[in-house]
Amino acid sequence: MKAFKYIVALAAVFVAAEKSPEQQLKELAAAGNGLIKLDSHLYDLLTSPKRTWSASIHFTALDKKRGCHPCTTFNPSWNEVAAAWNKVAAEPKGQHFFGTLDFDNAPNVFQKLSISTAPVVFNYPAASGPRKPSNGNTAPVKYDFSEGFDAAPLAEQLSRFTPVPIPYTKPIDWAKWATTGVAVLASALTLRYIAFIIYNRWVWAFGVVVTSLIMTSGYMFTRIRNSPYVARDGQWIAQGFSNQFGQEVQVVAFLYGLLATSFVMLTVVVPYQQSPTKQRMQIWIWTGVIVIIYSVLVSVFRVKNRGYPYKLFL
Amino acid sequence: MPSLAYPVPTDLSPTTVKNATSFLKIVALALISGAAIASRLFAVINFESIIHEFDPWFNYRATKVLAAKGFYEFWNWFDPTAWYPLGRVVGGTVYPGLMATSGVIYNVLRALNLPVDIRNICVLLAPGFSALTAWATYLFTTEMKNESAGLLAAAFIGIVPGYISRSVAGSYDNEAIAIFLLMFTFYCWIKALKTGSALYGTVAAVFYFYMVAAWGGYVFITNMIPLHALVLMLMGRFSHRLYVAYCSWYVVGTLSSMQVPFVGFQPVSTSEHMGALGVFGLLQIVAFTDLVKSHVSSQNFQKLLRVSLVAAGILGASAFAFLTYAGKIAPWTGRFYSLWDTGYAKKYIPIIASVSEHQPTAWPSFFMDLQMLIFIFPAGVILCFKELRDEHLFVIIYAVMASYFAGVMVRLMLTLTPVVCVASAIAFSSLLDVYVNPIEPDVPAEEAPAVEAVPANGVTETTTTTGGKKSKKADKPAAVQASGSALSSLFAAKSPGKGSKRTTGIFGLDSRGVVLLNAIWMLAYFVFHCTWVTSVAYSSPSVVLASQNQDGSQHIIDDFREAYYWLRQNTAEDAVVMSWWDYGYQIAGMADRPTLVDNNTWNNTHIATVGKAMSSSEEKAYPILRKHDVEYVLVIFGGLIGYSGDDINKFLWMVRIAQGVWPDEIQESNYFTPRGEYKIDENASKTMKESLMYKMSYYRFAEVFGPQQAVDRVRQQPVPKTPITLDYLDEAYTTENWIVRIYQVKKEDSLGRDLKNANAFATGKKGKKSKPQPRRRALVA
Repeated sequence: MKAFKYIVALAAVFVAAEKSPEQQLKELAAAGNGLIKLDSHLYDLLTSPKRTWSASIHFTALDKKRGCHPCTTFNPSWNEVAAAWNKVAAEPKGQHFFGTLDFDNAPNVFQKLSISTAPVVFNYPAASGPRKPSNGNTAPVKYDFSEGFDAAPLAEQLSRFTPVPIPYTKPIDWAKWATTGVAVLASALTLRYIAFIIYNRWVWAFGVVVTSLIMTSGYMFTRIRNSPYVARDGQWIAQGFSNQFGQEVQVVAFLYGLLATSFVMLTVVVPYQQSPTKQRMQIWIWTGVIVIIYSVLVSVFRVKNRGYPYKLFL
Repeated sequence: MPSLAYPVPTDLSPTTVKNATSFLKIVALALISGAAIASRLFAVINFESIIHEFDPWFNYRATKVLAAKGFYEFWNWFDPTAWYPLGRVVGGTVYPGLMATSGVIYNVLRALNLPVDIRNICVLLAPGFSALTAWATYLFTTEMKNESAGLLAAAFIGIVPGYISRSVAGSYDNEAIAIFLLMFTFYCWIKALKTGSALYGTVAAVFYFYMVAAWGGYVFITNMIPLHALVLMLMGRFSHRLYVAYCSWYVVGTLSSMQVPFVGFQPVSTSEHMGALGVFGLLQIVAFTDLVKSHVSSQNFQKLLRVSLVAAGILGASAFAFLTYAGKIAPWTGRFYSLWDTGYAKKYIPIIASVSEHQPTAWPSFFMDLQMLIFIFPAGVILCFKELRDEHLFVIIYAVMASYFAGVMVRLMLTLTPVVCVASAIAFSSLLDVYVNPIEPDVPAEEAPAVEAVPANGVTETTTTTGGKKSKKADKPAAVQASGSALSSLFAAKSPGKGSKRTTGIFGLDSRGVVLLNAIWMLAYFVFHCTWVTSVAYSSPSVVLASQNQDGSQHIIDDFREAYYWLRQNTAEDAVVMSWWDYGYQIAGMADRPTLVDNNTWNNTHIATVGKAMSSSEEKAYPILRKHDVEYVLVIFGGLIGYSGDDINKFLWMVRIAQGVWPDEIQESNYFTPRGEYKIDENASKTMKESLMYKMSYYRFAEVFGPQQAVDRVRQQPVPKTPITLDYLDEAYTTENWIVRIYQVKKEDSLGRDLKNANAFATGKKGKKSKPQPRRRALVA
């Protein structure tokens, strides 16, 4: 006990000369809305091997010239989570810190940790004191971006390392709610005038067919897999049979739509044509459209499935 | 007599035409059934009569129990070898429809003194039922349009790859009989709705019950029929026919579906069944108001209606809210919920997301499985809108729902296929109707200036060709009323807009010819496409693999059966085998050994335990293995011959599932290189290299290549030369092509050393920490 008192006294002397690192970090965090802007010196301080606190550090490269798009996408989420952490009570708040280290402020740290990609988030558990993990593993833990750059999963994952869960709540999207409300109100008010649209079967037919076309062109695939619209090199057809880009949805849905339209034209519209010459022309045109577009479709399919043995006129 | 584009026989009596038509219909249906069955037999001809894939192996095993021991034994069957050490109550956790069907067929054949092996019944059940599906689709489409469309739809569904993919011979899965039940239930529903017959409603309910007993996809029917009824009511098409049809279906169907133990009280307690119940209630209210309306004066009625509707609405909503709050109504089950919120599964139930048939569908799969039907079916939907009878609404709703679901999950392509076949058959046969119809339309006056008033004497003058167009145009519709031949009256009935003032139709033979030729060409190409896809893509049993030798002859790779047979012959009967869950059913079916986890993925923690063992280092995995009495560990490795469906490619899912349960011990990011790549070469992360899965897969792999650089043929990466040491496992067996590798788990060292040190001692290396355990020393002393 005595020794402890001495240490406290000694610490007090040091504080008199210089603030304790913990105090310093607390102040910095309070100043930056829960977030500490790090440089290499502060990084060493925050991750000192004697730390009694834990820390989550975000390695990034926000400068435009670095051209790191994911960094700029992720940064707001990170700031939100750090700000949410700033709202907890002072006692747990002092035990966990959020820091952001920009590449341009401390390239040497990036080199030391051999980080070559950004953004990266490391969680440093406490290395000493009561919050040291029971298994003694104080090595930093990398955050897994598999759930995307959103703030909600980030807060949920990081809560494993903080003394109390991060009180993050998704900000209410007022704009979205207002838009929805206005739209509902407007349609309710104009119901009398737009009723003929709702009661028109061809409006519904159009909706149904467009929905089916989009769904059968792999729209849900691009949604679920977050496929890009086109590849970086401008290629719009994705390699591989079970893979596709956003633009393929449009092209394929358009081809399907055109073919279906030709069928409807041939079956429904053409017989009403009263003039034999015009009718013959229309029949030839729509049949031609079917043949050509079908060939195009098959040739696109052959790109996706290299082993496909059949080809039409293209 | 209207002018005709080509001659049709005139001397046929209506009876002859009718008889010939029905004869042709029967012949066509028989041929379609034959084609449907034959095209599913590629697998049997190319390989042998064998059960395919994974799930069918369990179904087959259960059917064997059913056939050998009878239904009650099967019903009460507790399988202690599955999910070791938990076991599985099979009777209460399966959809028994499939096994019961085969059991019935087996017993009937035996009663007829036809001793057929139960395996052959299982193998050929799916092709047999596909013929029935074609018939059910024929009936369904006939209700939508007419018999010719029905035949076309039957032909489509008979050979379309989207359905064949799940029903080739040997694919003994629930879907094998489910699609027939689906289509037949829908047919009965449409029939009940059209006729207002409680009989058809009850038949629909009986088939619905059969479907519930056969496949989890019955939920699709449970929601399709209420949705149809709801839309009909919203459109103001409520009728007593609807009331009778729906009520008889719902009441009988729901009560009987609750008799299936695996379903139990779900129809009244889970959200996916609530829609059907809600529509049932709504139908009662609407029917009641309908009744009151006919008895009360309209003014009072308005008041009464308003009050009662508001009261019923509030009552219903509060009851629903209360029951949900009280926990009586479960929220959506995970599997179903993941269909709406597509990110849900990956986040919360990785085990569902890990299954390859639960992946979203890219467009090439749609084209591969449905080919031209995929772009013709929107035309069919438009034609349904044109007529918009009650039953057409069904097709429309079905088309939208199924195309969404098929986009979310590859597996649900199966539910889309029937509606695509029906809708495209409607479109295609409408096209043929228009262009086969020989009746020429009337020419408006300005188009035919040279009216020569050719007398329309009889039908002989209808022998017209393209050259004779001029004279044909000049034909006057003088004798329209004159009754022509039976055939032309048949066509006249179908001719669009014949009753209206404007006559519609196609002029000339060349216009007809070009469209019909195009149609025939498309149909022929469709047949070629289907044959090719079926033979190449969907007829591999995946238990036996085929490759080609350099001279083009077929080389059979039979590693799976080789390994399972080895297990059966060389291990104790109660030796527990651990493998990833994909192979659980196969090990149980072919090797007859207890497994830790299998394809019935009901216990996530147990699967995560296996995932953890596979992804941990040897020292950490060993206690897990010992605690579960594991004696053999089986891994699938395709690196030598390039079999891409191996365990290293599935490894990340094992890690992810384990991480879901032990986030502190297993982290997915540790298995990637610092650059975030999934590598198995020198750059592989330390955790990756130390994982049990990596070690078991690449153990002694480099030795095969001798002095050359070892290359993994699946991942196209060089494998490190440093030999992998296994301290806690022994290689027990590796198959010819290295696809299956079996390792034996060592017992604890008899001297009480830890196995790593024991191994180091045995190989002559001095272990770092070779001090013996204190307790042992005390004993020796």
